[in-house]
Amino acid sequence: MATEFHNLQELRRSASLANKVFIQRDYSEGTACRFQTKFPSELESRIERTLFEDTVKTLNTFYAEAEKIGGQSYLEGCLACATAYLIFLCMETRYEKVLKKIAKYIQEQNEKIYAPRGLLITDPIERGMRVIEVSIYEDRGSSGSSSGSSSVSGSTAR
Amino acid sequence: MPGLSSGGGGGGVGTAVSSPPRPFRPSRYVPVSAATTFLVGSTSLFFCFTCPWLSDSVSPVVPIYIAVIFIFTLANFCMATFMDPGIFPRAEEDEDKEDDFRAPLYKTVEIKAIQVRMKWCSTCRFYRPPRCSHCSVCDNCVEDFDHHCPWVNNCIGRRNYRYFFLFLLSLTTHIIDVFSFGLVYVLNHRQQLDTPQAAVTMGVMCVAGLFFVPVAGLTGFHIVLVARGRTTNEQVTGKFRGGVNPFNKGCSRNISHILCRAQAPRYTGRPYMHQKMEVQPPFLRPSLTEAQLEAKILDNGIQNDRHSTRSKSSLDQMESQSADAEAPPPPKPDLQYSGLPPPDTEESSLLTEAPPTPSMFKYRLAYNSPGRNHSAISHSNKMIRGESLDSPCPSILKSSRQPSYRSEPSSLDGVTLVGGGVGVRRGGGERGKGSGGPGGAAGGVSGGVSGHSLTGRSYTSYPSSLVLSAAGSHSSSLRSAQTAHNPLATLQSEGTTDTSYKSLANQTPRNGSLSYDSLLSPSESPEFESAAHELSPQKPPGPFPSSAKAGQPRVVSPSSPLKGYTSPFLSAQIAQQREGQLLQGSATFSSPHRAYLRAVSPPPPTSPRPPEAQHLLQYGQDLSSRALRNTSSLSSSPGARSLEPPISPPPRGLSLSKSTAYTGETGSQYKLRPTGGGTMVVGGDVGGGHQAPHPPLPP
Repeated sequence: MATEFHNLQELRRSASLANKVFIQRDYSEGTACRFQTKFPSELESRIERTLFEDTVKTLNTFYAEAEKIGGQSYLEGCLACATAYLIFLCMETRYEKVLKKIAKYIQEQNEKIYAPRGLLITDPIERGMRVIEVSIYEDRGSSGSSSGSSSVSGSTAR
Repeated sequence: MPGLSSGGGGGGVGTAVSSPPRPFRPSRYVPVSAATTFLVGSTSLFFCFTCPWLSDSVSPVVPIYIAVIFIFTLANFCMATFMDPGIFPRAEEDEDKEDDFRAPLYKTVEIKAIQVRMKWCSTCRFYRPPRCSHCSVCDNCVEDFDHHCPWVNNCIGRRNYRYFFLFLLSLTTHIIDVFSFGLVYVLNHRQQLDTPQAAVTMGVMCVAGLFFVPVAGLTGFHIVLVARGRTTNEQVTGKFRGGVNPFNKGCSRNISHILCRAQAPRYTGRPYMHQKMEVQPPFLRPSLTEAQLEAKILDNGIQNDRHSTRSKSSLDQMESQSADAEAPPPPKPDLQYSGLPPPDTEESSLLTEAPPTPSMFKYRLAYNSPGRNHSAISHSNKMIRGESLDSPCPSILKSSRQPSYRSEPSSLDGVTLVGGGVGVRRGGGERGKGSGGPGGAAGGVSGGVSGHSLTGRSYTSYPSSLVLSAAGSHSSSLRSAQTAHNPLATLQSEGTTDTSYKSLANQTPRNGSLSYDSLLSPSESPEFESAAHELSPQKPPGPFPSSAKAGQPRVVSPSSPLKGYTSPFLSAQIAQQREGQLLQGSATFSSPHRAYLRAVSPPPPTSPRPPEAQHLLQYGQDLSSRALRNTSSLSSSPGARSLEPPISPPPRGLSLSKSTAYTGETGSQYKLRPTGGGTMVVGGDVGGGHQAPHPPLPP
């Protein structure tokens, strides 16, 4: 972590956090974990709509798989009951396993798609699964000059 | 006894502390301690005193069975007590930025076609998800909040409701078992009731019997809740009384939902696995097409189709379509501003009523109000501008933007019309130049401030529809005049400009801006020169004087705008040829030129401009530098000097009157700009020689 911070500081053109977009939960199907796939306007110029929607849809699929009430979850419950829930000390629940998959997926998406576009997706579990936080970064180096120019232009125009 | 707060006593009452470290209140632990004591103690006594006889007399299975039930009860009790019920972590500050003072208290969400209200939790700083409630005892928002149970000293929520429910079931069973087997013992020891075992057994039976009534009642209550798919909170507050419960999935599904659901994860106290991602610029900008197209359309007021911004074919399209400069505003640009707060849309809607280029104004507004939330747009603009030098996109942007500019001339009967049209707007827009500044800059959304900003400014700076209509009428009149006079020239100019534009579109402007300079890069000079040659003989000298005086520089413009385009590339010969003609109509050009200069001044020239780029039709940031060059070039070639004015289309409206005064006068040019004052040194060089090697950029 320290190394990464150091690297960031070494960058000639560093990025600074400019804005955060929060993708809210989609409660239309109940309290099952789903996120809205509506493309936020702030990201319109930063990332393709399809990429973003794919990410959210994949996340929704993951969560649906985690919360699925089926054989595996039932067996897990029975096993837990039988062992007086001591099994939770040794075994990872199904949901936790899927959460790890989700974390890995988000990490991979960040690396491949979002970080090159100056965006970062935060795992919703860190927000209590209420929102997907998308951080928008700006190029500190060039944004400074461009903002300067725009302000100059604004003043000159006025 | 739902245990909502009765047993809690002082626990939690008056707890105003919202921070995690809550004061230690021993009273909170009385009920849970009592419950634990009774449960464990009684059962232990039962095992010690009653079970030996039971195992001997009845069956050894009995104690084992009771032990199993007891362990199950205890396990569920521990899970219900110690498990996180589904506490939501407090929202971070940046999440509730907008939801502070002006945010409504309730947000409505539709769940299976039923409206459910989400209340804003001021402690936790978010809108409570459906079925979430804030526990005043624990001072936390709990997901699927059921109730706060004092007997376990914990909230019952999504994560531990199952264990609580099973605890209730198993406790009821255990109580029944203990009572029953105790009764068996007592009935079998009626004569030995004074023995300790019997006494203890009777004591245990009394405790069991005492707790059986409330526990069984609670168990039955929760069985009904589970079957109905409700929480205690919902039941007690009567949320769905007489209404439909959107969370009710049917009895069996509700039961399976409670008992067979996967164990939900905890939100608090998770292992912090933050992977620091390096977000390093330059950033990719994928969505240039849409936004850029819209921006271009907005900038020029020329409705081009949005399909192929970056392709050369789009340029062709735009050029062919630009003939109608007053096409209806595209609906799409509105989408660009979907993120804008209402005031923006209101303003823009007002402006959209202006016939010629409503979209321009909308675009402008976005930039006129920097405080708005269209940070994305401005951000993107800035980024694009910033990136123009770095990322591969700018070239596309610029090329995509270029067509808009090019199409203008081609559409409006060649260069002249374009100039004229622009000039009209300019004249009208001069008043609002200041405001147009940022707008113009914003106009360069597509990434290039140069060309876009200029045209953008011309439109935006004059938001009044009156001016617009005047401008429009001017342009249309000019256009018609133009057409009448030089259809052939127009065709030719179009042809040349078309080719030049297309070729230019493909190239990346060297200076990184979409100025006219870049459009008329030296590489294109041969085309221009040839075009100029072709056109010049066709331009009737007659119209020149009349048009110049009549404020219809258009007539002059057929050749002059072309000249303007080609000025950097025209040889001195050609320039001198034009000089006479230009001077007549130069007045008109000066003003737009100045206007352009002024408009362009804000964006700083970012790249070296070709010395030949003297054209007056400056659309971009280069204007200032261009003026410099113009100055120098003009000084070098007197003919070239005169080229300056003709290039810029005569401004309509205000500028027209002043244009006449331009001839040979430095100051006159400045008069053209009501707002700019005499700052347009650049323009001055046209008339009275070249001044200001450094075009002063109005602050």
